[in-house]
Amino acid sequence: MTKRFPLILSMIVILSLMLSACGGRAAPTAASESSGGSNEPVTISMMMWGDPAELEVWKQIVADFHQANPNITVNVEVSDWDSYWTKLKTLLSANTPPDVFAMDAPLYLDYQSRGVLLNLQPYLDKNPDLLKGVYPQTLEAYKTPDGMYGLPRDFQTVVLFYNKDMFDAAGVAYPTADWTYDDLRNAARQLTKVGADGKTTQYGFYADPWDMELIWSEGIWANGGEIVSPDHTKTLVGEPNARKAWQFFHDMMFVDKSWPDANAALEYGGDPFLAGVAAMTTIGHWAVPGYAETNFKFDVAPMPAGPSGKATSVNSAGFVVAKDSNNPDASFEFLKYVLSEPAQKRLAELGFACPVLEDVAKSDAFLKQSTAINEQVFLDSLAFAHMKPVFKGYDEWSSAIGDGMAPIWTGEAELDPTLDAAVQAADEVLANNK
Amino acid sequence: MDYGLKPLGREKFWLWAMLTPTLIGLVFGALGSVIATIVLSFAKWDLLTSPTWAGLENYIDLFKDPKILLSLTNTVKFSALYVPGVVIISLLIAVLLNRKIRGLSLFRTAYFLPAVTSAVATALVWQMIYGRDTGILNFILARMGMQAVCWLCTGNAMYSVVIVNIWGAIGEGMIIFLAGLTAIPREYYEAAELDGANGTNQFFRITVPLITPSIFFMTLITTINAFQAYDYIYILTRRSQGDSSVPVMVFSIYRNAWNFFNYGGASAQAIELTVIVATLMAFYFWLERRYVVYE
Repeated sequence: MTKRFPLILSMIVILSLMLSACGGRAAPTAASESSGGSNEPVTISMMMWGDPAELEVWKQIVADFHQANPNITVNVEVSDWDSYWTKLKTLLSANTPPDVFAMDAPLYLDYQSRGVLLNLQPYLDKNPDLLKGVYPQTLEAYKTPDGMYGLPRDFQTVVLFYNKDMFDAAGVAYPTADWTYDDLRNAARQLTKVGADGKTTQYGFYADPWDMELIWSEGIWANGGEIVSPDHTKTLVGEPNARKAWQFFHDMMFVDKSWPDANAALEYGGDPFLAGVAAMTTIGHWAVPGYAETNFKFDVAPMPAGPSGKATSVNSAGFVVAKDSNNPDASFEFLKYVLSEPAQKRLAELGFACPVLEDVAKSDAFLKQSTAINEQVFLDSLAFAHMKPVFKGYDEWSSAIGDGMAPIWTGEAELDPTLDAAVQAADEVLANNK
Repeated sequence: MDYGLKPLGREKFWLWAMLTPTLIGLVFGALGSVIATIVLSFAKWDLLTSPTWAGLENYIDLFKDPKILLSLTNTVKFSALYVPGVVIISLLIAVLLNRKIRGLSLFRTAYFLPAVTSAVATALVWQMIYGRDTGILNFILARMGMQAVCWLCTGNAMYSVVIVNIWGAIGEGMIIFLAGLTAIPREYYEAAELDGANGTNQFFRITVPLITPSIFFMTLITTINAFQAYDYIYILTRRSQGDSSVPVMVFSIYRNAWNFFNYGGASAQAIELTVIVATLMAFYFWLERRYVVYE
């Protein structure tokens, strides 16, 4: 015994150290006892991702909601993006989920298809007017054959941001709504500056090429390509039209050198536009509060047009109710409130996203924010926006493409064979998630 | 393992009494998850729906999935560079700092500092050092008339990351070796000096043999750490959306489970990692019986 004991002990220690990441079950949340009649006071728990500024606004929305519905108290919990999903999955698997939680549309089916969300259709049928006035493009993602399991709270269209100071200094005209991708490329070339030592000191353009939302889905659509087949069995980003978009971006980065490659971008904290070394970028409204803290002037323009016209991406964040919620009625009341004018106004003032309620989006609450940029562009972009695809296994699929293409953006791999391999890996993910 | 002290009679009782608190923690805190992981490694489980039996599928994937194989290769490469690096360098530094020199505590503090600093914060500083266009290291190289190196590009990233990890670990290694060194009686060195042994001879004939228990312990701990290394590597090699250009096993386990809903596959990877480390440990203990000297 004494001989073997230290070995066994050390093995147990090793195992437990290794497995600590796969942590145990969380303690049940002290909330939601009984739903009962509508007059009985209930407490619902609500979880979302976000930063401290967002928490403040949500606390305000929750307080307003409580004033309108004195019987319902909402406990808000905000985590950063990564820990949010880890925490959420743990709580769901322990059967102690929060009553209401935030959902990113592309990931929605990963949860809906696993039966952890409440079908909201019966409630929606009872409130036929609720979705009137909500931008229909933001509802699309939540529809399933047997109804909607989630409701949007805000949306994001991707637009072209440009640094006015850099345009002025270079004497280049600001981007317009008539711009094509060739105009973008020319301007980017003119705005790129190379120092005496051969190092680039200013880039014309930067967009993060990892996730489709920021640039490549827009580019593919504008070239007449598609992302995945409608039945989500085939990845189409390697088809001839889509390939033209990849080639275009690749050439901006490695022929024109007007777009910093992945290694250079990392040196500027991952966002050279924010760092003030790139003159243009394509991103959504969530970037505005961060950009507003810089000391350069910037504005926005619509995405440029490609051979097949203009295209951008629209994505929405929303709320869902847990299937195991003890207070589904109260939870739905809260979702309803999020779509109301006062709540949407508060969200608009927060400045991270566009309100889904058309009246609020077109009001001064959204159009006249403290950061003076042309907010109308975000709304107008809906006219040519494609929905960011939603399907089961999205995260893994998107990593197969993102990771697969990464060696291109560091300049270490050839475009065509790398793209072929990434498409193949992505198709395998789709097959595994049927 | 023949230790100098063997528990006898009443001592045996006290041995177990003292171990009980730790054992209770291990049995209730760790054993459950260990068993659960073993079971789950034979299942297909997405955490949200009931697990289904998968047989050996997850284990077959360990040898088939190129992403898993890459992470295993990276971890093995990393460990092969990291373990000897940490053990040798921290031993040398401990020997250098085990004498009466000026500013001794300053040096000791400097070497130990990384151990008590947030890994994420220091990794970000290293990122500035390694930067290709704006990095301090390339600035120095350029001043010396040398070509800039892309330290964190594929090909170099592994070595750059190993350097940072070694730098982060020598502080603790130094402490362990310093403790071992102070236990070596001065008389041995005095006797050796009288016999005319020089510094090198003293180091290899006296210090190294007498410090084998510390070397053994350090190698063991460092190996476990090597297979679990994650924080510096991830921060220095991350790409968008949680990707890494040097994916190691712990990274791959985490991502498979928490991002890709593949808890069964991740469990099989965890078991694989454990078996590898356990095999290495068994080998170390075998070596210990042969070569480690306990006074």
